[in-house]
Formats: sequence, structure tokens, C-alpha cells
Amino acid sequence: MALLKLSRWSAVIEDSNHAISLLAENMKAYYYLAQAQIALHDSEFALDSAKKAHELCVKEVLIGGKGAGSLNVITELVLKCKKENWERKEKERLMARGGLLADLVGLLERERDQKQEVVHGDTSQELIREISNEYAEKIEELRHTFEAANGAHDEGRRRKVPDWVVDDITFSVMVDPVVTKTGQSYDRSSIMEHLRRSPTDPLTREPLRAEDLRPNLALRAACDEFLQENGWAVDW
Amino acid sequence: MSFATKRLGKELAKVHGNLPPGIALVTAEGFQEWLLDIQVLDANPIYMGQTYRLKFKFSSSYPIEPPEVTFVAGPDRPIPMHPHIYSNGIICLDLLGTQGWSPVQNVESICMSLQSMLTGNTKNERPEGDEQFVASNRRRPRDIDFYYHDNTV
Repeated sequence: MALLKLSRWSAVIEDSNHAISLLAENMKAYYYLAQAQIALHDSEFALDSAKKAHELCVKEVLIGGKGAGSLNVITELVLKCKKENWERKEKERLMARGGLLADLVGLLERERDQKQEVVHGDTSQELIREISNEYAEKIEELRHTFEAANGAHDEGRRRKVPDWVVDDITFSVMVDPVVTKTGQSYDRSSIMEHLRRSPTDPLTREPLRAEDLRPNLALRAACDEFLQENGWAVDW
Repeated sequence: MSFATKRLGKELAKVHGNLPPGIALVTAEGFQEWLLDIQVLDANPIYMGQTYRLKFKFSSSYPIEPPEVTFVAGPDRPIPMHPHIYSNGIICLDLLGTQGWSPVQNVESICMSLQSMLTGNTKNERPEGDEQFVASNRRRPRDIDFYYHDNTV
């Protein structure tokens, strides 16, 4: 814990892994591990660790263990890891696209140079200038096309967050949706928070106990997929 | 960032320029206190042509805990006449009490409930014991166990 505060991330990872090797079901160790991995921009591993911590925490919730109180912070950490993971993929994608543009521009320039080399005769200066202009236009057009494609993508990024991924209590995207008998789903962390204060269904105020909640696996997969494509939605 | 701040930030983003008719955001500063104006849109003679100002106070455990919602008086902003609204602006509505509150409620839904509470009212009067209550009450609205004198309203 002290190492975590001191941002000595690799030492945190070492300690956490050691703790996990001693006790495989170590929720706290996975929780610390995920934080260190995210600080080191290891978002894919961080997400795995955070999911593992979440899974262990849900077990605690189900048996009423003392780790149950961490469900909120762990759920938030899972969301953060999902966002970081998406950002990393997004960056890679943009770089790949930037590389493609550079390659295409390079090809056009080579073609231009080849054409200019074979020009002979009295009008050669004029022809060379013409060729230069022609290719300058082509390259400009190509850049415009790429920019337009990026623009369209950014436009897509500002899309609305669909209501079906949103938890009606926190208004965040759900990580672990559970369903009540009304058919309404909530994130496990927020409905548990509510049930601690009032054991009632938020919609009907009928009695509702934690044992009555059922995981909504299809919605969980859908929310997960949504965030893989739209990691920005974590902070909408 | 706390639970409440996050959720209120999202509510604010939804609310901006997108409120139902007769409800308008006045200020929302610091995520602790919001002011909204509401109007009754039908031709109810008790409330016609008037605008009322609501004050929302949020705790750090909103929306698990209800916000404190009262009417506040000001120039051109009277306290609406209603058998469940005291003249100091305190509102007696089960939705706003610890018992009746649900975290799926939000600022917009509360405003709409209050709007319809006024719309449906025909009695141009204050709650029973209004003067005494206003003079003696020192408690916070949500801690008061309102005695519902008249459940027909």
C-alpha cells in the first residue's frame, strides 16, 4: 500500500504477484496489481487484473464477506481500465492510419520523380512543373480524404450513450448488470449500495433482497462490447 | 470524484437545454445546490401566470440519499399555495422523504412530480398548523415525519 502511494509501480507488481502466488484468491492483490499496471500503461493486463479483483469481490458480496465494501471502487477501476485499453487501441489505430498515409504519399512522390526523370526536350522545364503541380494536387487530395475519414470518425465519437448500457442510479456504463424482477437492470455495485440503505426495488418499492438479484449475462456482454468500441463513454 | 459529483455532472449534461416545458435551470454551481424554476402549464387558476423557484441541496451520498428540495421566495417568486407546502417553502411529498425516495429519481423527475402535484390541486390553502410549524421548525425537511392531514390531496 505504501509502495502504491509512492508510485513505485514495479515494486507493487512484484509484491502483488508474490501475494497472489501465496493465495490465489487475493482480491486486494489484484486490485493493487491493476492500479500499478495501469500506471505503467499496461492496460490489457490491468483490465485482466481488475476483472479478476471484481470477480473475487462479487464472491465476497454473495457470501457477505468483508471485501464486499470494495465493490464500488473496484467497479470504477474496471471502467477505468476499459477506457485506458480503448485509448491505447485507438492510438494504435490512428498511428497505423497515419503510417498508411505516409506510405501512399511516398508512392506518389516516387511516381512523380520517375515521370520527371524521363522528360526530355525544349519544353522539359514546363513539363516538369506541370507534373509537380499534378502530383501536388493528388497528394493534397489524398490528405483531405484521410482528414475527412478521421473527421467522420470523430463525429461518431460524439454519439450519444445508449440508455441500455447506462445504470439508472449512477448514470455510468454498467460493468456487471444484475436484473430485478421488474426486468430493470442495474450495476451490481450501485444496487447493492441502494439495498444497504433501503431493501426495496427502486422502481416499485417492493421488498428486494440482494439474493433476489440475478446477473444479466447478455447485457453484460453487450456493455462490454460497447465499451470496447466506445471507451470514451466511461467519462461521457 | 464522489458518487454524487459524477452523477450530478451527468444529470447536468442531460438537463442542459433539454428540460420539459415549464421547467428551467437557473443555476447549478458546485454540485451542492441547484436552483430551478417551474411553472404550472395548464389553466389551474391558483397557479396561472406564476413562476416558482425550487432549491435542491445534494449530499455526497446522492442519489442513494434524497436531495433536500424546498421552494424559495424571491422577487416574482412566491411560495405556491398547496395543502402540502408550508409557507416557508418546505414541501411535504413522500418522494422526497427517506422512505419514499428511490435512486432512480432525478432532478427532472422531481420537478415533474412537483409540477403535477400543483396541477392536480384545487385547494388554495396552506397545511394545517402552518403558522405554528413555520415558527417552530428547526429540523431539516427530510427528517420531519410529516403527518398527512389530508390524504385526499
